[in-house]
Amino acid sequence: MMVLIILTAAGILAMFASVFNGRSVVLPVSLSGLFAAGYFALLEWNTNTTYFEAMRMDNFAIAFTVVCLFAAFVFLLLYHYMHYSSDVHYAEVISIILFSLAGVVVMVSFTSMLMLFLGIEILSLSLYILAGLKKKDLLSNEASLKYLLMGAFATGFLLFGIAMLYGATGSFMLSDIAYYLGLHKAVAEPFIVTGIIMLMIGLLFKVAAAPFHFWTPDVYQGAPTLVTGYMATVGKVAAFAALVRVFQLGFSPALETYQFLFAAVAVTTMFIGNITALYQKSVKRMLAYSSISHAGYMLIALMAANEVTNGAVLFYSIAYTLASLLAFAVVAILQQKSGSDEVSVFNGLSKSSPLMSITFAVAMLSLAGIPPTAGFFAKFYVFSAAISDGWVWITVLAIINSFISVYYYFAPVIASYMKKGNEEGIVLATPVKVLLAIIALLTLLIGLLPGSLSYLI
Amino acid sequence: MLTSAFYFIAFVTIFFAIMVVVSKNPIHSVLYLVLTFFCISANYIFMLDATFVGMVNVIVYAGAIMVLFLYVLMMMNLNAIAEQKRSVLFKISAAVTGGMLLLVLVAALKDANLQIQGSALEAEQRIGSIKVLGYVLYSKYQLPFEVASILFLVAMIGAVVLGKKDNSTKTIGIEPVK
Repeated sequence: MMVLIILTAAGILAMFASVFNGRSVVLPVSLSGLFAAGYFALLEWNTNTTYFEAMRMDNFAIAFTVVCLFAAFVFLLLYHYMHYSSDVHYAEVISIILFSLAGVVVMVSFTSMLMLFLGIEILSLSLYILAGLKKKDLLSNEASLKYLLMGAFATGFLLFGIAMLYGATGSFMLSDIAYYLGLHKAVAEPFIVTGIIMLMIGLLFKVAAAPFHFWTPDVYQGAPTLVTGYMATVGKVAAFAALVRVFQLGFSPALETYQFLFAAVAVTTMFIGNITALYQKSVKRMLAYSSISHAGYMLIALMAANEVTNGAVLFYSIAYTLASLLAFAVVAILQQKSGSDEVSVFNGLSKSSPLMSITFAVAMLSLAGIPPTAGFFAKFYVFSAAISDGWVWITVLAIINSFISVYYYFAPVIASYMKKGNEEGIVLATPVKVLLAIIALLTLLIGLLPGSLSYLI
Repeated sequence: MLTSAFYFIAFVTIFFAIMVVVSKNPIHSVLYLVLTFFCISANYIFMLDATFVGMVNVIVYAGAIMVLFLYVLMMMNLNAIAEQKRSVLFKISAAVTGGMLLLVLVAALKDANLQIQGSALEAEQRIGSIKVLGYVLYSKYQLPFEVASILFLVAMIGAVVLGKKDNSTKTIGIEPVK
């Protein structure tokens, strides 16, 4: 509860600061808001406090909150250093980010369907706005409008599903729904089936799983690159946490019935994401398809549904978030400099900015799942969760997909080391350098010492 | 009596809803949509005894939002612009997909034997009055009610951010290439 209040208050303060010409205090206010929110979230570790029967800060919720707060922290710093002087909406953007984090907290801690809906809407609405920030860029306008229309359509499905479930069980509470499903063996009742599937469609849209992924490439490409990074990390991780939560707390008796559906979605998502990513010219589009494929890998962990699922999903989210933040940060910096997001902007990067090329390489290694990085253990935990539940064929398909992905992840890395390009040095602000280095080190560190993190929740 | 009234209202609602989609003139579509909202409100008021929700539906949707919609349509003068031509294949696939969804939903729900659970039954008898609605909003659903305010705040800020004119030539993201 404190987390929600602090984030909202910091957002309001940041918003008003710009009215009173206090542009310089916006960043300190918002960063201290983030730290305070993180601190109060961690204070509630192991307490399982329930608020108003609508949200519960259990360890699952706290862990995902902290991951998203970290991603937002990175976003805010990069945004500050890249756009402090150039963006007229600097303060508003930061306050929207803080409000969207309040939505994230609601999304990962809900125990009532109403809160799920509100959380998803707060986050999505913020992302619709952020996607359209480049007002004079047609692609950005298209991204914002497309995301809004498709998102509204998906929200319709989500609400329809919630209404069906309310009609059948008479409650918005996840615990009541689970009780009803267990008591009446009602997983096959028409209303329940329709409700759960509609809810699934709504949530799978938000995590960008195939066949609900068509918006992703256009939106990710059109949105300002840093915003794309925020979408791909916070947006996806929070939506995924919500999906896991709703199925674990609400539909656990029904999970076996829907396992095969998840398996089909996971396999399609992985193949569509990875194969389409192979022939993308734009790095942003390539990362968009890669983020689709990662939704597929995470779905495998959800589908396996055993005691290691939560740990595997959390680990995967952390590894994916760190690597994506790094990748999008580098792409954003390069794009701001050269105005292009083609693979060719990476030519000669190892000469012009050794730090960026090495951190980007670490990010790509992690996304591809190569051993010394966090991404390897993320995939390892997901696959072992699937195998321990007997899903061998899907694991084999996922490993094949990992091999496919190596090809496109390495294209920009090869360009930055092997090809000659503009060798004029790129000067980065020291905090940005430190930030990039820290994220890259974290990725390696988690890859070397994965142990305790996976049993956290 | 109530059942036949329900069937009548439901029939009229669906008829108007189909007219929204079918009519060529966008202004007519909007007007049919207003009528659809009226019929839905009638359903709320007469069938569910939910007078407050019904009235709000009329005032907000049929009244405010649809009139705004109408103004936008008139200002853009969409009448003159012919409807974008879609290929036949597109139309057929859309019809097949929509028809399949309808078929599946009807098949799944036609013999759904819905038993109203305890809390829903309890709520149903008193749901109409504003007093009960207010009580429930400020007690049982207090947190969702408060959290909704963040949603509206974001929407307002977003409207200002996207609607405000940018005076500087620089925008976020790509700096103008020199």
